[in-house]
Amino acid sequence: MTEKFVIAHMYPDLMNLYGDRGNLLCLQKRIRGYGYDCEIRQLSLNDLIDFPNIDMIFMGGGSDREQGLVYNDLLTKVENLLQEIENGLPALCICGAYQLLGQYYKAVDGTMLKGLGFFDLYTEGRPGRLIGNILIESEIDGQKTSVVGFENHGGRTYLCDKKLKPFGTVVRGHGNNGEDYSEGLWYKNLIGTYLHGPLLPKNPRIADFFIKAMAARRGLPITNILDDTIENFAHQQVKNKILPNIT
Amino acid sequence: MSLRLIIAVIVGKLAIYFSRIAGNQGTDFPGQLARKIYPDILTALAGHIQNGIIIVTGTNGKTTTSNMIAEIFRENASTYVHNRAGANMLTGITTAFIKATSLSGQRTFDYALLETDEANVPLLLQEVEATMLIITNFFRDQLDRYGELDHTINLIKNAVQGSRLELILNADDPLQSDFASHTGLKCWFYGFGDTIYDELTSADSREGRYCVFCGHVLSYERYHYAQLGQYHCPNCANHNAALNFTGHSLKMDPGIHFTINDLGLQSTYQGFYNAYNILAAVSVGKRLGINDDVIQRAIFNYQPRAGRMEKFMIAGKPCLLVLVKNPTGLNQSLSMLLLDPAEKSLFFALNDNAADGRDISWIWDADVETVARPEARISKIICSGQRSGDIALRIKYAGYSTDDIRIESRLQEGIALAIAEEGGTAFILCTYTALFSCRQIMLKMQKQSGGIAQTESRQQQKGGGE
Ligand SMILES: [Zn+2]
Repeated sequence: MTEKFVIAHMYPDLMNLYGDRGNLLCLQKRIRGYGYDCEIRQLSLNDLIDFPNIDMIFMGGGSDREQGLVYNDLLTKVENLLQEIENGLPALCICGAYQLLGQYYKAVDGTMLKGLGFFDLYTEGRPGRLIGNILIESEIDGQKTSVVGFENHGGRTYLCDKKLKPFGTVVRGHGNNGEDYSEGLWYKNLIGTYLHGPLLPKNPRIADFFIKAMAARRGLPITNILDDTIENFAHQQVKNKILPNIT
Repeated sequence: MSLRLIIAVIVGKLAIYFSRIAGNQGTDFPGQLARKIYPDILTALAGHIQNGIIIVTGTNGKTTTSNMIAEIFRENASTYVHNRAGANMLTGITTAFIKATSLSGQRTFDYALLETDEANVPLLLQEVEATMLIITNFFRDQLDRYGELDHTINLIKNAVQGSRLELILNADDPLQSDFASHTGLKCWFYGFGDTIYDELTSADSREGRYCVFCGHVLSYERYHYAQLGQYHCPNCANHNAALNFTGHSLKMDPGIHFTINDLGLQSTYQGFYNAYNILAAVSVGKRLGINDDVIQRAIFNYQPRAGRMEKFMIAGKPCLLVLVKNPTGLNQSLSMLLLDPAEKSLFFALNDNAADGRDISWIWDADVETVARPEARISKIICSGQRSGDIALRIKYAGYSTDDIRIESRLQEGIALAIAEEGGTAFILCTYTALFSCRQIMLKMQKQSGGIAQTESRQQQKGGGE
């Protein structure tokens, strides 16, 4: 029987902006390419997360109102979730979901939305959205890797704890706050980021980072190599667009 | 009468003339130039509109709706200024006024019919004293350009407050349900009663599934089309507004037949979304007091225009040019492929200029999986445009065989590949800024192949209306 990975798609009806579900399509197809099966389990408000049988968590962005509903629901699950992340559960949190991991989100009008407080970071909304193609540099297994995407956020996120590692360094674009060249957060097997696009299809090495982490936790091997010709072409095409003078 | 205004009009008219000679569509530049010379030119020229300035906005269907209103005006022998599709920002609207007016800028018209993007409505209202605002629907499409949909809608609500506008609203769109209470303006509602095409469960689009008053998930009794339908909020009193203009007895065979209040209508257009466009246009005509006979004739006579879904014959092969610009439109275009039982080739040019939307992630929200269905019978897909890689990736992850995906970013070479494929029709899909080039390429190929100049345009089934 083929081994099956289960990815929990948190609040698909509330938190799914800008094609984020493409990340799940990507993970699923790649996992199948590696010879395993993959189930996307959709979890809504009030559904319990069956952690022992979940290999990864995915959560996208939503509007402020929807984020409020999600926050209240997640509060009831906080303890377990944090523990699992400490234990190395792979998780990808995009945009609004990433902001929720911090201490708080302060909206432009001054309204304070509490965060889950997993990490010592906070977000402040300011007038003027940070929108556009973005290129960052990240490091996977000691190898520098370029990551491309599209960002669209009004919130500026600041990592307070200097020990917190960003997902990458901004080469072109805004990133966490448009000031300190940091983008996102990387903690164990969790990545929080502002990159839509969606993120994973054009950045197969990030997709494989999650898949390898899932496999490693289950003691399963990843042996074959997938044909990423189209992925690499699309990646390079965006890169050329962002850095037209550099080849 | 200001000399400066006259100069601005003349310079604008010259710019229109010269950009036409240069082969450009010349829709924004002349207006831009004239606005530099006389910044209040739009306000000044709009002052010569006698009966009313009508703004048409919304995500989908505003071009078709405003073209239908224009047809009603024409049938009614009313004079009007109307901006071209695609030239719907202030500069394009200014160009339309310059084009229509006399050299002295003094010509009067009965109506101005101004189609504009949602986010542009507040700016437009600052310059012209509009009398009527029609909203077609709110779907996600311009999210990437203006932030979230909620934000754009709020901008409109705030901009119309305190004006003398009459609003013509879609009662079936839950995102419009708080316009009346929020703005205090006179509102007229159009919508559909029960139809035999309604679905009683689920809808693919998530927009508007939440109550705009309290945030609770809405309960739908029936869906007419996407999120448009009969709904109520289980948590507060929010439900569809009472209708002033009710569409009923809808039949699509596939041409549209239905009745609005007691006026019977027929159209060669197809698709539920076009029934909504007709309903919106007819509501405006009725509100303006135009005769039922006139409205009926206008809708009956109205023929779709070129460039929307245009048919070419190249070297004996039928080719269909289709504009796609958002997930809803792409879904419709792809489901159209399923209706054609023959083997076919597909070309898709994805650009990411401002007019296309810089964020191309919307292709992941569409059901591109359709292309991988065996009954779609697509022998080859050519991916083109500035983001050829992204559309190729989307198609790969939709489950289509990578052996049959070709990437050719150049439009001309890509179209040639699609046409060289054996089998039935070549479907040429493209986003807005690739449309003009693709059309020129196909016209040229058609001419060279000696194909009859068969530019019989068909708007039917076209995605989303624009
Ligand atoms: Zn409610």
